[in-house]
Amino acid sequence: MRLANLSFRYARRAPWVLHDVRLDLPPGTVAEVTGRNGAGKSTLLRLLAGTTRPTRGTIADRPPIVGYAPEIFPVGQPFTVIAYLSHMAAVRGVPASAVTPWAERLGMTTFLDVPLGDLSKGSAHKVGLAQALLAPPGLLIMDEPFSGLDAETRAELPRIIEEVAAAGGIVVVSDHQSGLADRPGLTRLAVEHNTVRLLSPGEALAPDPHIGASEAPAADDVFAESTPLSSDTDAPGERAGPRLSPDPTDRAETVVSGKTVIEVLVDGDEAEAVTQKLRADGYDAHIRGERL
Amino acid sequence: MKPTLLLVRFKIAAYLRSHRIIQPFVGLLAMLIILYSTRVLAGHELSSYGDSAALLVPVFAWAARGLLDTEPDVQRLISVTASGRPGREVTAGLLAAAAVNAVLAALAVLVPLGIGFAVMPGGAVLAGGLALHFLSLLTGTALGALSSRPILRDQAMSTLVMLGAYVAMLLISLAPVTWLTVPLISWMRAAGRPSFLASALPGLAAITLAWCTAAFLAYTYLRRTRP
Repeated sequence: MRLANLSFRYARRAPWVLHDVRLDLPPGTVAEVTGRNGAGKSTLLRLLAGTTRPTRGTIADRPPIVGYAPEIFPVGQPFTVIAYLSHMAAVRGVPASAVTPWAERLGMTTFLDVPLGDLSKGSAHKVGLAQALLAPPGLLIMDEPFSGLDAETRAELPRIIEEVAAAGGIVVVSDHQSGLADRPGLTRLAVEHNTVRLLSPGEALAPDPHIGASEAPAADDVFAESTPLSSDTDAPGERAGPRLSPDPTDRAETVVSGKTVIEVLVDGDEAEAVTQKLRADGYDAHIRGERL
Repeated sequence: MKPTLLLVRFKIAAYLRSHRIIQPFVGLLAMLIILYSTRVLAGHELSSYGDSAALLVPVFAWAARGLLDTEPDVQRLISVTASGRPGREVTAGLLAAAAVNAVLAALAVLVPLGIGFAVMPGGAVLAGGLALHFLSLLTGTALGALSSRPILRDQAMSTLVMLGAYVAMLLISLAPVTWLTVPLISWMRAAGRPSFLASALPGLAAITLAWCTAAFLAYTYLRRTRP
């Protein structure tokens, strides 16, 4: 699947959400999409899934069977789980019996007869995953698939992703929880500065759009090229601000004009977890180490 | 075509299970009570059908909008991927709305045969009534689609636009130039004449179909950027 000069904005004079994205996703690719909140990750996923039309550019060779698992499954529908999945199976042209193996693998057998509106967040999320998998997808798009899942399903999901990729499918996952971080050969995509670029192994997401990031990664076989934002757009271009100091004790000296430091007080044993969450969201978070 | 029809079934099932059909159904009952509270004398049946068709347009629009709005926004995205193409989801929505309205229209044609008309009318009157209600359900479905949530996200604005457009159609169709809008008033006027089927219906149907085609094309075009 190839994205050529892909751009998207919501209205004619609105700023670009994504601009001039060029990607090549060959069969078997497993890609993890990261980026700050509001960076355009979900928009990218919807463009890839074909549910949103690009404003400019094209997506070529999209596999015919696409599975799309949304970040938040819409439970406001008057069906039980089994009735809903049976309808989706029918629309996808697979027998209703295709529901059973996924219900078992995703731990859904106990609530198949429960109305969608009565499901817990994690159970509803599983329904969203199951409907995307009913027909073997050539392209599997999952928006925050690990969110709210129990430990068993969190462990099962990477295996399912491997199976889809092994069958030649393309898997694209938006993931704040790094559920696939240990997967060898994982393609990591960063949505930032209104475009998408490949992260090299070990490279972290740029902490802030106004603070300089590392240079573009080395070329990878998977991608034809990474695409910095062209300079003729109304979106913020690549900025060459000061680099982050590797030493957290230098934070005060590296605060950039226009930035604000906020203080968040948390319990000592939660500090690391909160810091990781903020970093996953693309913020420049550090533990100061002061105990009050 | 099969995924589209199965999506139609899914949408209708969701609409019926949500019980939102009760609202336009009550509207239909109210209209039928108003129209047929006194028995229609022999020879005036087609005129009554003309009134019924023109007055039921907002009921059909209400049903179409309700059906299209029943599906959550994210479910539309899922339906697009499940059916394989965005066009199938859009077509399925319109077909489902038209199918529900066809049932309501059939009731509007059949109920007066039992309780509204003093005598059973002939086949020509029935054909005229069916044709008028077919035009009415198409107009209502198009109006409901154009005021549904993917096009107009604000519920109050959507209701205002739907009812405002209907009133505007009524007012504009008072003008002697029939092609300015869907000729609702002309439906009513022409249906009272004895030569309605042969002389007036083809022209009125052509104008109505042209406007409805334009409305459906506009809806389909707008949905390209409003998934």
